[in-house]
Amino acid sequence: MPIIVKTHSAGSGEWAIIELQGDLEVRSNQSMHGQFIGDLYYNKYGQPILIIGHHILQGREQKLEKPFAVLEKSKTNEGRQLLNTTDATLDASTMNTTEGPERTLLDETVALEHKSRQRTEYTVRAICTKKLIFKARPKPIIANVAKTV
Amino acid sequence: MLKLFTYSSYVRTPEDVKAIVKHAKLDERQLTQVTQALYYPSAHVVSDNLKLLELDEHMLQQIRNGQTLHFKGGLHEKVVLCTDERTYDVKGAEISNSLLLVPDLKFAAATSTSPLKSPRTGNANTSLERSLNDSADDDLEVPRTLEQRQVLTIFHEYFECREIRPRYRKLGELLQLTRYSGPENEYCIERKHLFSFQQLLNTVQCSRAQFVDGLQQFRAIEFDGHIRILDYEYEYRIISLMLGLISENSWALDEVEREETIYALQGIAPEPVVAGLFDIYTVPSDRCPDKFKYQESLVARIVAQNILQPGLRFRSDEFMTTWQEALPEGMSCKIEYLRGLGILDKEGAQPSIRSLAEEHLPSNIIDRMRVLFKTKRKWTLDEMEPYIDCFTTPALSVSTLLAKHARSLTEGGTRYFVSKH
Repeated sequence: MPIIVKTHSAGSGEWAIIELQGDLEVRSNQSMHGQFIGDLYYNKYGQPILIIGHHILQGREQKLEKPFAVLEKSKTNEGRQLLNTTDATLDASTMNTTEGPERTLLDETVALEHKSRQRTEYTVRAICTKKLIFKARPKPIIANVAKTV
Repeated sequence: MLKLFTYSSYVRTPEDVKAIVKHAKLDERQLTQVTQALYYPSAHVVSDNLKLLELDEHMLQQIRNGQTLHFKGGLHEKVVLCTDERTYDVKGAEISNSLLLVPDLKFAAATSTSPLKSPRTGNANTSLERSLNDSADDDLEVPRTLEQRQVLTIFHEYFECREIRPRYRKLGELLQLTRYSGPENEYCIERKHLFSFQQLLNTVQCSRAQFVDGLQQFRAIEFDGHIRILDYEYEYRIISLMLGLISENSWALDEVEREETIYALQGIAPEPVVAGLFDIYTVPSDRCPDKFKYQESLVARIVAQNILQPGLRFRSDEFMTTWQEALPEGMSCKIEYLRGLGILDKEGAQPSIRSLAEEHLPSNIIDRMRVLFKTKRKWTLDEMEPYIDCFTTPALSVSTLLAKHARSLTEGGTRYFVSKH
């Protein structure tokens, strides 16, 4: 059975990608949820500057040669609705799933394949056409840190 | 690996920003007015249901137009992604870089009240330093705003797509199960092997547009809610009767009448079969409105198929004569019409035509190569093309495939391909 990837003719939103070399890690085993990562600035020439802890990264804004679509699984294989579990500030109107009754789809190649219910669905949540890429090594900020930031 | 450490959870304040700008020795006047503070996803965000899919121009356009895409693939098939027109192979690509997905992030232009300056050449670092030349117009203090941005998820993987040819083999195999050979033989047909248009479209790994093309190539007909192909002999018999009407009615080749043809075959074959065959085999006449002409290539093929049964071989001159005589007057047989049905073998004492049906060959290229070279020792590129074509992709031509799976040699100025082993 085909897995449907829904799109919205109204046009999906534009989201950004920030590309960092390597991984972001937090100290010890603290949970990362909701933690502050860093500040993003731009200079007057449009160059992005990212300050993470005591490091400063200089990057550049780049058009993605091949854009990305952000697909969100909007239904699991059990048909459970998954929408709205992500950031509540996102526009809920772009995630309308109440069209038609619950689909129970049979894999119709009965002779060759199992009968299987396939209800997974994806929705294109956004398109990414640009990214901020930070390729250079971070530079340490050397300052007399009197009080912790 | 580069490790960056972050501090414990709190909400960034404008004072923090001011302090860090100072510590970092950035000149605030050289920065645009907006600072965006980034945060890790909060605990309630479920992000493992998000995927990044790399798009080409066509896919992007389809998504922008609100077209639905489909992932297709059975249990033992590699998944493909289809737009309405094209088919793509999908492959996960892992990367060591981190891709932070940030909804609503502002790019540089959106953070500045004045147009951005054109970038300076040379070392980018210099742009951070305060330039004396620029200082004059920056003296006006513009208040800095702080906006909070949440990273939705961090990816280390995305999905790449590569356009591929439609995969029709399964369509052929499924239709093959229930070849139609007249109402009297329908009792032999396993009902649960009959498939509707939608059922087949759902399972065949190709786009909708390619599926419609594929049905045309297989000469499939829809009737009683099912897609059927015909038994070759039955198809030949019906086509012969239809062609017979040309001389019977003294029609010119491009004066064939649809209604008359369907009417004349009433009681001989079901109307949807006749109408379906008529629509596949004919094109509208250029000369006479509302009239049709049979496509020579299709007619010649079904006739050849009837003579050239599997396993048979003929002297080539005899075959061509027989073939020509079986065609309606005014049509001529051409060796290229045998594409994928049979081959001309010039290696023996006398050139011969032998049956070699593409659809009966293995679907795996290595096995297929073995069978081909067992059938005939050396091949030219043109001879092999019909049998290898189905493996090509926009990036992988027949020559490339042959370079990989065969050995080439030149004899008497002609390039041949022979088995690698």
